[in-house]
Amino acid sequence: MSVPASTPALEVRGLVKHYPGVTALDGVDLVVRQHEVLGLVGENGAGKSTLLKALVGLVVPDAGEIRVRGEAVKLRSVVDAADHGIGMVFQEQSLVPNLTAAENILLGGEGPGVRRGVYRWDAMRRLAQEQLDKIGSNIDPLVRTDALSFADRQMVEIAKVLRIEQRSQHPPVIVLDEPTSVLEAKEIETLFAQIRRLREFASVVFVSHRLDEVLEVCDRVAVLRNGQSVGELAAAGAVPRELHRMMIGSTGSDDHYHENAAAVVESERPRLTVRGLSGTSFQDVDLDVAAGEIVAIVGVHGSGREDVCRALFGAEPVTAGEIRMDGKKINISGTRAACAAGIGYVPAERKTEGMVGPMSVAENMTLAKQRSRCAGPFVAPGKQAAVVDRWIDRLCIRTPGRDTPIQRLSGGNQQKVVLARWLVDGDIRLLLLDHPTRGLDIGARSEVYRLMRELAASGVATVLLADSLEEAIGMADRILVMNDGRVVSEVACPAGGKPSPLDLVKEMV
Amino acid sequence: MSTPVALKPAAEAATGDGGPRLGRRLTGFMPLIALLALVVALAIADPGFLTQRSLTAVARTAAPLIVLAAAATLIVLCGGIDLSIAAVASLSTVLLALWLPHLGGLATPAVILAAASIGAVQGVAHVLLRIPSFIVTLGGMSILSAVALVVSGAGTVRVVDDSTVKWLELYVGGYVPMSFVMALVVVALIALALRLTPLRSWISATGYSESAARLAGTPVDLVKIGAFVVSGAGAGFAAIMLVSRQFSGGPTMADNLLLPAVAAIVVGGTAITGGHGSVWRSLAGALVVTLLRVGLPIVGVPSAYEQILYGVIIVIAVTLTLDWSKVSIIK
Ligand SMILES: Nc1ncnc2c1ncn2[C@@H]1O[C@H](COP(=O)(O)OP(=O)(O)OP(=O)(O)O)[C@@H](O)[C@H]1O
Ligand SMILES: [Mg+2]
Repeated sequence: MSVPASTPALEVRGLVKHYPGVTALDGVDLVVRQHEVLGLVGENGAGKSTLLKALVGLVVPDAGEIRVRGEAVKLRSVVDAADHGIGMVFQEQSLVPNLTAAENILLGGEGPGVRRGVYRWDAMRRLAQEQLDKIGSNIDPLVRTDALSFADRQMVEIAKVLRIEQRSQHPPVIVLDEPTSVLEAKEIETLFAQIRRLREFASVVFVSHRLDEVLEVCDRVAVLRNGQSVGELAAAGAVPRELHRMMIGSTGSDDHYHENAAAVVESERPRLTVRGLSGTSFQDVDLDVAAGEIVAIVGVHGSGREDVCRALFGAEPVTAGEIRMDGKKINISGTRAACAAGIGYVPAERKTEGMVGPMSVAENMTLAKQRSRCAGPFVAPGKQAAVVDRWIDRLCIRTPGRDTPIQRLSGGNQQKVVLARWLVDGDIRLLLLDHPTRGLDIGARSEVYRLMRELAASGVATVLLADSLEEAIGMADRILVMNDGRVVSEVACPAGGKPSPLDLVKEMV
Repeated sequence: MSTPVALKPAAEAATGDGGPRLGRRLTGFMPLIALLALVVALAIADPGFLTQRSLTAVARTAAPLIVLAAAATLIVLCGGIDLSIAAVASLSTVLLALWLPHLGGLATPAVILAAASIGAVQGVAHVLLRIPSFIVTLGGMSILSAVALVVSGAGTVRVVDDSTVKWLELYVGGYVPMSFVMALVVVALIALALRLTPLRSWISATGYSESAARLAGTPVDLVKIGAFVVSGAGAGFAAIMLVSRQFSGGPTMADNLLLPAVAAIVVGGTAITGGHGSVWRSLAGALVVTLLRVGLPIVGVPSAYEQILYGVIIVIAVTLTLDWSKVSIIK
């Protein structure tokens, strides 16, 4: 039962998927060849995740055909897909944290690892090691997964997915949905080495919004727009600009970070002054942000920068230190106190912490500042409509209406609503942005940058935990480097005198 | 630069996707449909059912259940559950019977205040000690039942002079029991408070995603404690209805209302996982449950089977209303 090498590993023809009011896939065609890494790019809401979910049986398409090695198949569940050798590495990390890597890898398919209902650890170890060997990983199978680094856990996920090889005698197809969006630069390198290795015995579909990395790791890139395939190109020799043009159907602007709109920092007006702030995972942090200034904090996982941000918003305990806003000492006892002090926070986990999915755009936008839609103690529908529509307009939020549940919007538009939440009543003084562009496409990112510039120009102080060093350098006026819970250095970052990423990396490790 | 969303124009969407929408709308009206179906079924089974007398009896029976369920709905909307409502109500009947001779007209507000305070204590314990509401109220149920036994001397407390609670036994317009009218007023007041103020947003956000609500500066803790206070007060008010009807208070008087109240909430379609639902739904649910209760003997099922019925309808209703996308682990 051999399949000629020219037959595609996977072929999708005219795939259609409707959701109420939305056509997520509108006749998508896609070919995944054997032993290739295929990139899949497109704007937020283009249908990439829906397509991948259809490939692993998590979404049942309304029309269209999926062929595996030339043979039409119906995929109704993840098990169906696994039987055909298709597996997905989940971005939300599906490992059980308090089990060992071996248990996680073999979960549900222990085979000889279990005899009479009891684990045989030597067999478990051997079987898990076999999977880990496939990806050349030196993770100890008997270590608990919550003791592993983020990147290592992803390796365990990949090892786990590769178990589908036992279910079909053909080379597997592994799909990865935005695997890099939560990884650090170094971890991304490890992942890419892994993907190149996978190519030897499998096909890979890889989704990312970072076009440079897509071009780096992929052989070929397919582009989706509004649920349709709009083209593909060979990665070799291609440039991100070209890809971006295909994604949006027109040429984008070059001034990605809107540097010419950079605000004048009013350094004589210190907005936030933090002295000696300590908490569970950070010590003795000093931080100054002036009105109109954007300060980026960079650091690797475990540097404590996220916790500093959350502590400033009252979402994490502080054991010592002093926080002043506009010179006045304030006591941030909780998130409510922070809101009242004019502080806003945009969490990194948009889907679980940033927004309330089933609630409407209007409710999400006014959640923090109820006064903006109320007359006295009562909600005033007219006032709410006016204020919400004004911000939908100002931020060009694409939504069918203000009453649409926010979960139906694309990622970029969701993020704009979450940002607008802090702007609706106009008394925002300090914005804490934790990875505000995570998972956003280039266009949406650029709009978020523009908005940050506008806010800075109006005197808002911003603390930014950037998605990448490039973003930190592009947006910030000043960069603090954190390591192991402490601020280890400060780098000026004025327009025209930007440091290089390499300079920063040296400080970070 | 822009970020197009793959959206069809609204008109097209409405025609193109009629099926699922109609389905969803139907689920929304499910409790009402069930209610109508039950009324029709009972009218067929017993032609005497649609008389004024038996409808009045149904309304009287439903009143305390409506109040209990509607008040506890707030906690379910916040993503919790209150298992202590029946125990609070039982204790409240005892307190009312004991206090009536001394406090007279003040006994009613005093009992509601006491019940609300019990709710507040449980709410504070839930919020400050971070104990799941399920555990707090399970413990509360056990403690309060014991307290009721102790203060009542483990027996029924007779009410000699019930002049100050008798008004609940009046009939509005001659037919509609006052207790039923008051139950509707309670439901309407809670519904209005939710509809007209930011409370609705706060409660839904807390129920759907507590961390997101907290990070938006929502007063999550206050909202939850408030829900417990309302739930306690509701139990107190239900107790007053029970006493006015039975001329006595008893340490287990309301205990058999716990399952029906939870059933009423879930039959109404309020999601047990929080966020989605309303007190109107619980009103419909309470009527459905009451009709089932009244209807069983009519169709000849012994009332001993009642508990089986509650068990079955709770499981079925939760299965139908559960938002599976939100539940990753079934506990
Ligand atoms: N379960 C769902 N219910 C309703 N609409 C949905 C659902 N899942 C996706 N959609 C909609 O389908 C469209 C495509 O979504 P999809 O998640 O595939 O986009 P994507 O290309 O992965 O975007 P992103 O880059 O933001 O991850 C979007 O408009 C989205 O709002
Ligand atoms: Mg996606």
